[in-house]
Amino acid sequence: MRVSLLTAASLAIIWPWLSTATFSQQSNSAGSASPQAQAEASPNDVDGRKMFTSNCGFCHQDGGRHAGRGPKLSKSERSDEFIIERIKKGKTGAMPAYGEVFNDAQIGALLAYIRGLDD
Amino acid sequence: MTLRERYLVGCAALAVASLVTVSPTRAQAPTQPPEAALNAEAAQNNWPTYHGTYKSYHYSGLDQINTGNVKNLEVAWMHFPERATRGVQSTPLAIDGVLYYSGSYSRVYALDGATGKTIWAYAPELDEDLVSKQTHSPYNRGIAIGHGNLYVGTVDGRLIALSLKDGKPVWDTKLLDSKKVTVGFTGAPLVVKDMVIIGAQGGEWPGRGPIFAVDGKSGQKKWEFFTVAGTEEAKATWGGDSWRTGGGGGWMPGTYDPETNTVWWGTANPAPLYDWAGADWKKSGPRPGDNLYTTSVIALDPDTGKLKFYHQELPHDAWDFDSSVGEFVMLDRGGKKLVVHANKSGYVFVYDRSNAKVENVWPLVKNINFVKSIDPKTGALIGRRDLSEGKVDPPLCPAIAGGISWNSGAYSPKNGLFYRIGQEWCMELTVEKTTPVLEPMAQLNLGATFKFVPPPDGPARGHLSARDPVTGEKKWEVNYKYPPLASVLATAGNLVFVPDAEGVVHAYNADTGEELWSRNNGIGHNGGIISYMAGGKQYIAVPAGWGSLVGDEFVALFGEPFKSMSKNTGALIVFALRQ
Repeated sequence: MRVSLLTAASLAIIWPWLSTATFSQQSNSAGSASPQAQAEASPNDVDGRKMFTSNCGFCHQDGGRHAGRGPKLSKSERSDEFIIERIKKGKTGAMPAYGEVFNDAQIGALLAYIRGLDD
Repeated sequence: MTLRERYLVGCAALAVASLVTVSPTRAQAPTQPPEAALNAEAAQNNWPTYHGTYKSYHYSGLDQINTGNVKNLEVAWMHFPERATRGVQSTPLAIDGVLYYSGSYSRVYALDGATGKTIWAYAPELDEDLVSKQTHSPYNRGIAIGHGNLYVGTVDGRLIALSLKDGKPVWDTKLLDSKKVTVGFTGAPLVVKDMVIIGAQGGEWPGRGPIFAVDGKSGQKKWEFFTVAGTEEAKATWGGDSWRTGGGGGWMPGTYDPETNTVWWGTANPAPLYDWAGADWKKSGPRPGDNLYTTSVIALDPDTGKLKFYHQELPHDAWDFDSSVGEFVMLDRGGKKLVVHANKSGYVFVYDRSNAKVENVWPLVKNINFVKSIDPKTGALIGRRDLSEGKVDPPLCPAIAGGISWNSGAYSPKNGLFYRIGQEWCMELTVEKTTPVLEPMAQLNLGATFKFVPPPDGPARGHLSARDPVTGEKKWEVNYKYPPLASVLATAGNLVFVPDAEGVVHAYNADTGEELWSRNNGIGHNGGIISYMAGGKQYIAVPAGWGSLVGDEFVALFGEPFKSMSKNTGALIVFALRQ
């Protein structure tokens, strides 16, 4: 079953408010990011394309349109559930687990980006 | 019985007693490689440190196996490590007939060098949850031996000392908060005097790439040098707070120059790798400035951890062509003391060993367009191609995997030739303005998407060339359809061994490049080949196993045999002459 793009997009839209809290928490634990940095960083946390470039493009080449270290993702026949699970849990020796890095809304934005890829 | 007879009988009795009370091999095994062996040009019976000796020649002085009889080389024994996820990427060590090596998850094995029989094995408990979050994991690339210990780093940020005799832990020191920075240790440590030195992973991960020195006996940290903003001078080369997440790990072992009491180490690229600043990189973008001491060779005082001098090979590295290659080839040439260091960009730098002043720079590979050239007198980049947001046209050469990969070449003091693998490939690249990562956290820090493509002059490929290490003058070259990614070994038997990506080990005549022998190990190679002596017999040990981050690119580039090649298995294959 596919998570609708509308749902993923909705999660992406509400994320700026959610993500500030999460980023703050990480910053506090690290001890020193400036408030300005947090404000600047938050809105982009739900940009699926930027998140993909920062984290996933290292292995999924050409923004996910071409196989590299990881498989091609555009027009993937894998289910949404599979992709979400793989992002969360990774695959030992092949892909890192991002389940504790990104929340459901961010993973939804990544999924929306992947589903929107042309070839 | 005369006095002389009594003396002879007494000596014989002592000899017999020593045979009875001292078990063969193990009890006699030294627990510290002799200084003379570490400082020599050639590794002899032992392979005591990652690069062979501190000279870093990856050269064995053994010549039982030579151009005349290498055709009789055959498998003597094999060893199969557990959990060989991403193959076997390490370089074994050998001391007094015992071979030691590490596999993925920092598992360590001590084996009888003549038979392969296991003497002991060690498997640390790792933070598996953390391992699952890492990209550059769970492989391990090597170990160090000294002070009666064997040292191995872990991907969850620890350095562990094991008793060389029985593999029991002596100490286990947490050096990195790997949960915070995600990276740990995959590279081999280096023993220097009473300490062991190790560098953290990290280029595109948001950390500050420390290099640590730890007391060999106690496991106490002696010093820590931040390769990113490790001095006030360096901090001033990072705009804003970008130094906080600058990357720059020293993830491969460097070496030690006892003549000047200097540790030489190479550092990784700055993060994010690729930025959108273009020509205005000194003032804008995510990390404005030179970004010291990333993509640099640094010289540290081992007693204090203080920086003595450095050379930044690529100021503001905008291409991920880092200096992490750990091989520093120490040469005396024409009255000068030199050191040769290969940079990932495909250029080889030659330095004065006393101050890191550039003596020459020469290109090993043909397809380079990130700069027009590098000034061989000063090391200055000429016509650098800084990237702006959007599609990079024409494609960048070399590709992100580099013109030179992290494994080592070899140098033969017998004929003065340097043997190095080069890679010819490029990549299409689109630079994107990503969200700045301002705190160390569990995510990568990239600023581009990319795709490997063949270079303008032909298919993607690799080559081994034999060159003068100072001038770069080429004597011979062998080409490969698929770039070999393992280390190279030269020997006094006038041989050069190259374990290739398809799975074949080749032996060449060191003077001519003529292939004299080859054997198929059945899986690609990505570790370090060595030679050693056990029971009076010379052996060649080759780790086999495929699955590194560079090797993972081969499926999309070349298809088979890499599409079907397992990335979760491996073996140590040991060769000797047929009896």
